[in-house]
Parts: sequence; structure tokens; C-alpha cells
Amino acid sequence: MDRRRRRPAEALAALGLASLVLTAGATALAALGDAPLRAMLWVAPGADPARALGSVPTECLKRPADPALAARIEVGRAAFRTQVLLGGQAARAGINCETCHRDGRANPDFHFPGLSGPPGTADVTNSLFSTHRDNGIDDPKPIPDLSGAKARLKVDQDLAQRKLEPFIHGLITEEFDGPEPTPAVLDGLAAYVRALRPEACPAQAREPFTVALLMADARRALQAGQERIRAGDDASAVLMVASARSRLGLIDERFAAPALAAPRASLRAADRRLEAIQAVLHDHGPDAERQIAAWLAASPRLEAELAARQGLSLFDPARLAQAAKRRLPG
Amino acid sequence: MKRVLSAAVVGASLTVLAGGIAFASGGGGGGTPAGGGGNMPSASSPSYDPSIEYAKAIAALKANNYKDAARAAGHVTDVVPKNPDGWHVLGVATAGANDWKGSRRAYEKMVKLAPDDATAHAGLGLALANLKDKKAQAEDDWLKAKAQACGDSCPDAARLKEFTSTVEAAMNPAAGAPKPSAMLDRSLLFGGAKAGDAAYELAVGLINDRRYDEALAALGKAQATFGPHPDILTYEGYTWRKKGDYARAEAYYQQALAIAPNHIGATEYYGELKVAKGDIAGARVMLAKLDRICAFGCADAEELRRWIDAGGDPQKH
Repeated sequence: MDRRRRRPAEALAALGLASLVLTAGATALAALGDAPLRAMLWVAPGADPARALGSVPTECLKRPADPALAARIEVGRAAFRTQVLLGGQAARAGINCETCHRDGRANPDFHFPGLSGPPGTADVTNSLFSTHRDNGIDDPKPIPDLSGAKARLKVDQDLAQRKLEPFIHGLITEEFDGPEPTPAVLDGLAAYVRALRPEACPAQAREPFTVALLMADARRALQAGQERIRAGDDASAVLMVASARSRLGLIDERFAAPALAAPRASLRAADRRLEAIQAVLHDHGPDAERQIAAWLAASPRLEAELAARQGLSLFDPARLAQAAKRRLPG
Repeated sequence: MKRVLSAAVVGASLTVLAGGIAFASGGGGGGTPAGGGGNMPSASSPSYDPSIEYAKAIAALKANNYKDAARAAGHVTDVVPKNPDGWHVLGVATAGANDWKGSRRAYEKMVKLAPDDATAHAGLGLALANLKDKKAQAEDDWLKAKAQACGDSCPDAARLKEFTSTVEAAMNPAAGAPKPSAMLDRSLLFGGAKAGDAAYELAVGLINDRRYDEALAALGKAQATFGPHPDILTYEGYTWRKKGDYARAEAYYQQALAIAPNHIGATEYYGELKVAKGDIAGARVMLAKLDRICAFGCADAEELRRWIDAGGDPQKH
């Protein structure tokens, strides 16, 4: 078999780069432009939408007693969940670490056209995502479960060896053409990955994907941002706020129905406040921490408003299944 | 750190439908050309998606329905008057309808916009010849000079030869001889979606390989199939920027944004071009626009912000 790279036409299409490559006959991808959920672009055809889009694995995060380490882990956890950490095509497609490593696990439903082989695999040595690591070979590999046994993972996570940090740095800056991460973000990502441990996995393997989960993620990211502000690290704090915004965006796309205009407007207003906080942080202005605190204080009300209408959104399993039926032929 | 050709169009997901290409908003970007926006009908003229109109024109040409083809092509040139492909199709359609004056006008525009394009000179020569205008000779001379410079072995040799003979046949019609085809280079226009796809894919690979001249040729072929398309135009702009021709790059970005004002990729790259030209204020305008159209944030905005902060390509600063 010729293992030279096939031209990434499908991948380009999935990225929205080249929907031109789609033809009338390519029904599986022919309507990507109106995909209600961005994640539908990388869910394997035929995957169970309730599982792939309506639920997530439970996180196997071992929370440390040391508050300083816990804070570092939270920074990494938030960075793990925003595409802004990465660069190039992946970031522009909305992909972040958690896209492939759902809640720090693997993603058996991941299928990125042109990059994946069987579902749950990805060819990360591909020029579509990387200018550095293209090996010219179509060689998708299984996405590793970061919460699995450490001995089975590619890189030694032993803190003393310090092999994980340069590995993650290479992933960000070379494999995904991202910008140089701040030291705190790189350190936090390594701390987060080290804290993912099989013995910390909850008994329940999966849980529903809900407004509450995403709002909790957003709050944790913002709290990590506050910690970074107190440390005088505005650059990392900007990324934390970006992570919170990304999570709100995942709520927003499920609230697109006209009947949900009011809660969606509230959500977007909340996002604009975060955008303003990012601007303050970018300019090293004052008061960002207090503004985040105010946002956090108001967030339960926003969450309640969203949760009250969740049943009319694509968080509702039946509505999600209906939407997925249109979007996931196969 | 070097950077791959970035996603020109991630924000502007597009969909190729049976009838052509349709825009769809993606990630806050994309979108059709600005519509009436609530104005009274009398206060706004119809707006057209040039890619769709281009596809209509091609379909009409295939059906030898030249009037409809010319109408659709006219919509293309209305929206993107600086794009030569629209004028090309209009020139072909009007010629097909024996409207040689219309064809001459269209090809004159095309020659102005693409002075080195042999198809434009051939089309103009053909129109002038049919109008018994002696200026046809100048176009014939241009084609012959081009063919001579090209030689027998260049990739365009056969095409240039065909163009020259077509124009000369029109200038000196033999009694009873069939009229030369008004279509000229059918292969470009009628290559079909597959040929356009192949050209587009090839172009992306060539850009990533930094083979910019070949990439532009491939993009030109893709555009001949798909018409003025914001993704292709953005890539063309990107390629010209990489070649250091900022004026041409800007023209392509402007065309892309004329078609899809909220095109995220074109907005980002236009902003980066402005930074490269030292127009930080202009770049900030682009960034403000990205911040507005990227609800919940986007990587494109962050990349442009890094460019502005660095006063240039952040990978080099």
C-alpha cells in the first residue's frame, strides 16, 4: 500500500479550508457549513451521537492536598481546554487538547477526515496541522488515554525526569504550530497531565454533557486566571479567560434555536464582559481580578437561566439525536 | 518558528452544493455578502453571491444559454469588478450570444486586470475581429509574441497556438468556413468541479511547499472553475503577500472581503498585511472586527493581536 500522504482534501474540507473540494456527491461532508455543533466535524460517521456529543468521560483527576500544586493543575486544566493554546490550522478549526483527549481520556469517536484512520486515531505528523513534523506518510495512531496506566504512555511522566515539559512544548509549538506558551501554562499542563491517574477515575465512566459542566469549567478557568493575576502573570491569565470563553461558546452553539434567543443573549453578554477583561489584562490594566470576581458572582444566575432552558437546546438528548441524524450520516 | 499557510477560511465554512457553492456562516465568520439589512427594497439593490452566480453562468454556458450566462456573469462583475474571471465568463457568454461589442468590453476589462493573461487577449482579439476592428491585429501580435517567447515546449505552447489560429481565422474568415468558437479555452471554464478541486488541493500543497508561482497558477485554475470565491481569493492574497507583493495581496483580500465581509481568514490576513506595511492603526481596525465577529474568541484574532504586539510576524520577532 502506498503510505505516502494522501492529499488532505477531506481534511481541508473539514477545516472549512476548502469546502471547494466537496462535490455534490459527497453527502457526508456536503453540509458542513451548517453543522449545528462544531464537534460534529470530527465525530466519526455512524458514531452514537448520544455518546459522542451528549456525554463525556468522567475526569480522572487526582486533586492534590498542596494548594500551590492544585493551582498549577487548574492552570493546565484550563489551557488544555482552549484552542487558543494551539496555532495554525488546528486552532482555527476550534481544536484543543481536550478535543482528542476528552476530559483527559482518549476519544474513540474522534475522526478528522484526512487525518484519522479508524475512529479514535489521528495522524499528527501531518502538514495540515504542522509545518514542522510532517513526515509525508499517512500514519494515524491511536489517541492515547492520558488517564490510563502511566507505563503505557509514550513519555515518562516522572517529575524528576522532566521529560513531559519539553514533550508538551513540542506538541504546542511544533505539532500544532502554536505560540510559545508561558512558563506557567507549560508547567500547568504538565502538572495537569501528571495528575490524571487511573486510580482517580470515578466509578461512573461517563456523565451527561450539560450546561452545568461547562459553566463549572468556565468558573475554574477564571479562578485559575485570578490566581495568575495575583502572581503578576497577566499573559497566562488571558489564556485562562480565553478558556472560559471557549466553554461558553460550547453552550452557545447548543442554544441556537430562536426560542432560546433570550438566554443566548445573556450568554453573549457574559462573553463580552470576559472579552473586556481580556483586553484589560492584555494592556496590564487594573481591576481585572475584581472584574472576574464580579463575573463569577453573577455566573450562578446565568447558569440558572441557561439550565432552565436546557431542555429546549441541543443539550437535550432527543433534540441532539435529531440534529445529529441530519449531520452524521453513516 | 515558521508557520504553515494558515486557515484562510476556517471561519468561513463553505458548502458545495449540487448547484454550486453556497456560503454558510461558520464560527462567527463567513456569511453572504451584505444584504438589505432591513432597508426598504427601494433603498437597496439586489446583492449576489458571486460564486453562485458564477456557477449559474457556467451552467448556462454549458447549456448554450448565453443570455442567462451573460446575466449571471454580469452579477459576478457587479459584485467583484476587479476580478478577471467574472469578466472572462461575461466575455465568453456575450460572444456566444453574438454580442461582440459586449464581449469586447468584457475582455477589455479582463486585459486591464490581467494584462498577461493570454485568454484575455485571445478573447479580445476574437471580439475585435468579429467587429472588423483593426485593433484585432494588435492582439494577434501579442499572442504570437507570447507564443514565440514561450517556444514549442512550454506548457502553454499548444494553447497559445490555438488562440492565435482562432483569432486569425476570425480576422480572415474563409468563405463558408465555420465561425470560430466563442468559447476559446473551454478546458479552463469547463474543467468541472473535480478539476477545480484538484487545482485547489494542489495549490494548498504548493503554498505549504513555498512554491508560490506554481500555487498561483493552480489557484487560477481553481478560480476558473469556481469563480471569485473568498477562500481562493484569500489564498491568492496570502501567496502574493508571501511573494512580497503587498499591493496585489491587498487587492485579493479586498475582493474576498467584498464578497464575504465577515470572512475571518481574509480579515486576519488583511490585518497582518497591514502590520507588515506598518499600518498598525489599520490592523487594529481589522482586529476590532475580528473581535466583533468571533463570538467567544477565535485563534485568528489572537494571532493578529500577536502580530500587532510584535509589530510584525511574531514568529520572526
